Amino acid sequence: MASRLRAWTVRAIAAAALLMLAVAPHGARAEPVKLTWFMWSGSEPEVTAWKHVAALVTEKYPDITVEFQTTSFPDYWTKLPALAAAGKLPDIVSLQSLRTAGFSGLMEPLDSRIKADNFDIGAFEPSIVKGLSREGKIYALPYDFGPLVIFYNVDAFQKAGLTPPHPGWTEAEFMQDAKALTKDGSFGFAVWQPDAFIAFARSKGAQYLTAKGELDLTNPGLEKAFTAYAALVGTDKVAPLLPASGTQSSQLAAARFTAGNVAMIVNGPWQLINIKKQASFHVGLAPVPVREAGSISISAGSGFGIATTSKNKEAAWKAIQVMTGPDAEQYLAEQGRAFAARSADQKFWYDSAAQGVEGARDAIAAALKTAEPYVTTPNWSTVASGFEQYAPLAYAGSESPSKVLATIQDLATQ
Amino acid sequence: MPEVAARTPLARSWSLARHLGICAVAASFLFPFGWMVSTALRTDREVFAIPPKLLPEQVQWHNFVDAWEYLPFGTFFLNSAFVAASVTAIVLVVSSLAGYAFARLRFRGRTALFLLYLATLMVPQAVIVIPLFLMMSALGWVDSYKALIIPVAFSSFGTFLLRQFFLTVPQELEDAARIDGASHLRILLTVFLPLSMPAIGLLALFTFTGQWNSFLWPLIAINGPEHATLPLGLTMFQGQQGTQWTYMMAGATISMAPGLLLTLLLHRYIFAGIAVGSGFGGR
Amino acid sequence: MRSVSRDLSPGLAAGAAGGRSAAAPRTVRRRRSRDLGTAALFLLPSLLGLLAFLVLPLFASFVLSFTNWQVMGTTRFVGVANYVRLATVDPVFWHVLGVTLMFTAEYLALNIVVSLTMAVWITSLSWGQRLFRLVFFLPTFTPLVGIALVWLLMLTPGGVVDWGMHALGIPLPNLITQPGLALQVVVIVSLWSHFGYNMLLFGAALEAIPSTYLDAASIDGADTWRRFWRIKLPLISPALFFGTVLTAITSLQTFDQVYALTRGGPGSATTTLGYAIYAQGFVSYKLGYASSIAWVLFAIIMALTLFQLRLQRQWVNYDA
Repeated sequence: MASRLRAWTVRAIAAAALLMLAVAPHGARAEPVKLTWFMWSGSEPEVTAWKHVAALVTEKYPDITVEFQTTSFPDYWTKLPALAAAGKLPDIVSLQSLRTAGFSGLMEPLDSRIKADNFDIGAFEPSIVKGLSREGKIYALPYDFGPLVIFYNVDAFQKAGLTPPHPGWTEAEFMQDAKALTKDGSFGFAVWQPDAFIAFARSKGAQYLTAKGELDLTNPGLEKAFTAYAALVGTDKVAPLLPASGTQSSQLAAARFTAGNVAMIVNGPWQLINIKKQASFHVGLAPVPVREAGSISISAGSGFGIATTSKNKEAAWKAIQVMTGPDAEQYLAEQGRAFAARSADQKFWYDSAAQGVEGARDAIAAALKTAEPYVTTPNWSTVASGFEQYAPLAYAGSESPSKVLATIQDLATQ
Repeated sequence: MPEVAARTPLARSWSLARHLGICAVAASFLFPFGWMVSTALRTDREVFAIPPKLLPEQVQWHNFVDAWEYLPFGTFFLNSAFVAASVTAIVLVVSSLAGYAFARLRFRGRTALFLLYLATLMVPQAVIVIPLFLMMSALGWVDSYKALIIPVAFSSFGTFLLRQFFLTVPQELEDAARIDGASHLRILLTVFLPLSMPAIGLLALFTFTGQWNSFLWPLIAINGPEHATLPLGLTMFQGQQGTQWTYMMAGATISMAPGLLLTLLLHRYIFAGIAVGSGFGGR
Repeated sequence: MRSVSRDLSPGLAAGAAGGRSAAAPRTVRRRRSRDLGTAALFLLPSLLGLLAFLVLPLFASFVLSFTNWQVMGTTRFVGVANYVRLATVDPVFWHVLGVTLMFTAEYLALNIVVSLTMAVWITSLSWGQRLFRLVFFLPTFTPLVGIALVWLLMLTPGGVVDWGMHALGIPLPNLITQPGLALQVVVIVSLWSHFGYNMLLFGAALEAIPSTYLDAASIDGADTWRRFWRIKLPLISPALFFGTVLTAITSLQTFDQVYALTRGGPGSATTTLGYAIYAQGFVSYKLGYASSIAWVLFAIIMALTLFQLRLQRQWVNYDA
């Protein structure tokens, strides 16, 4: 007990000392701190960009160095629990808003620090701040976000003599276009799950969570929405059947889109730079079509937080402020890597990733007006993999949509 | 077998049919590799073209260079080679010693212990991954070559294989060396190993390719590109910002080279290795 | 356990020696441990390694299987609750068990038949034996992530396989999206990538058959077919046994192919126990529960292997 008390005292003094150093005039000497930061990445240019962001921290606080650790995006979520299980979490944890419910337990709430430092959280888009919050507490500072929108093949629409999708377009128009564009082995649309389906269902006014925030996939509204969604493949035949596979359905849909044989997909701004590079046609953006409840998208994004196990929380707090600060945000947006979570820096993204993309500004502005933060449950990774695995059964007509939803609900809540 | 190829025209045409037949089988068997290379040489939009195109419109040789630059492939390559070679080296040493003990030394409990070794072959990797990871963290080995090499270098497969081989070494050779006063270690080094090069070659090949392809353990044990191996590298082409199909296929094509090279090097050992090594050939 | 080991040991020892060790002079009792010191020294590295990196984690996972360990929240012992849940509550466990056994049975049979056929075929060639062995061994050089992706590209609806079948007029539905056929995809890809090992093994065993046996049979007037069934097959039965046991062990554990190719889908059509362990442990983060599935799998593998070891006396011929 005594030793714990002593340790606590030492820690408190250390924290106080750090705090004093933070307000001390420039040039004050402090013990150098080495922080670890775990982040997903998918390419050498991405790694370079993140290392640049880490270097910005040292530039501002010469005593703090941030060591960048990385793995691919799908593998990140396998590794994180393993690290947590071993008590080896890095100081700075990257968090995607869909996983907030699942991983917030590993992370430090930031509210008291935000208050103590008078940190301007209002500079960020409120919906992503909410996405990275759970039960009223903020767990990470966001660096990017975005609503799901429609990506469309401008050339295909022109060739077919169709009016391109635009803010305010309706489900009827969507169906008409999708049917007109489905011919010669090409399809008007591609379905994927669960995110794209959630946006579809919300626009239809269906709920996937109870009022208390618990998973509720078996309510009649959602069953009806999923039946309609599956019908796009099964009966309307305007979307191809994508297999359940080691590659996420969103990636398969994007691949079919860039190949030019799917004219519209639902996707987030974070993929725009890659899709634009791979496609041989002009890409346009539009909000999701207006359905029964309107054009309601979901927005998701990512940010950086502090692990509860970190021994350098104060330094980590300083670091994540820099990593999501205006300089970092501008840099990431200019690189096209991130649709900035700081509203003021979004213009840089429009000038890079969205350069030459039809309707990008209007689409995202319109989508943001009605987008809801993508709220999830703690076991969302089970839900998501359940959708990936079981939804194709409904599309192929092998099982009824309501049965598929019931199975996923069962798997996630057993 | 040549003895079947008699001189009658019937036998001759039957032999020809067998050769042509296997060429056809081999050609269709190789089709996925053809598809891999042909995908590696296309543009992204041709990957999912409908109807599919057998060959790229224009061969994109630069995909190989681009893939190499997109990820630190050189590092992955060297890491994989270093890890696979180190594991192979340890396996060869450890397995020769243990194989010799089980084959030629007499001690109480030998059969029971050998059965225990065999039982360890049945442990699914997924069973031990988490506790093993906890152990690595306790030792401070996470994200290091040590974590990639040491825990996997003690599979009893090698012990089993080499034991089988050592059993077939004639007793007279061992006795002759013993009369000269050689120690067991010396006998192992000067009599058994030189006679067992085929088995060693085979074990080296199996261990090397096994490690070269290993995925789950490196995924858990490694945190960043510094120590990542090739299979981890290949999955990095599937990022949050999209999948790089052509680069991935280029990477997969490149990754075949070392195994192929090793087989060509060890070729003359491999078949002899199994014939005698398994001791199952009915002599 | 003791009776089992007594049953096994002669077969294994004889099989291992190819009959030779049986001829070794029997040692007197007091000499049985004369090499104990050397043996201890020789076995020390492997024994330490196995204990530290296999046996210890194995028992740790056994302990874990009696806890509710999840990455977050408190961990406590729950007794056999995980095993009870597995058998009674889990909506897919029995199905997954069935898929695993079906996969193993089908894959094992096909693997042995195909690799034996190819081994016999290649051994009968007068030209290109080594070349063809290398060709059929090629897939083992490529990381499975790459192999799975190329198969996914080929099998995707509207992909080259569908297109080829259509062009040839074969009315085959798309394999990977049909719950009834998706498991066949895993079988095909597993077979394609792994049968080379057994092919090499059987081929080598066939080559090692002394030609005197076959000559004698030829003189007796046996045709090719009879020579294969009556002489070659019994002579290579120890190799067949070895290949069957190891293939059964690895196919019961099948994870990599499923992970990379189908992620268990569509539905649970291709979810094997190996994949279920991964999914519970690393997707749902129920590590205690995953450990209990892992132990069920381990028990099945042990049981099947012991069964095979017992059965070998019926058909494996070590006295050639």
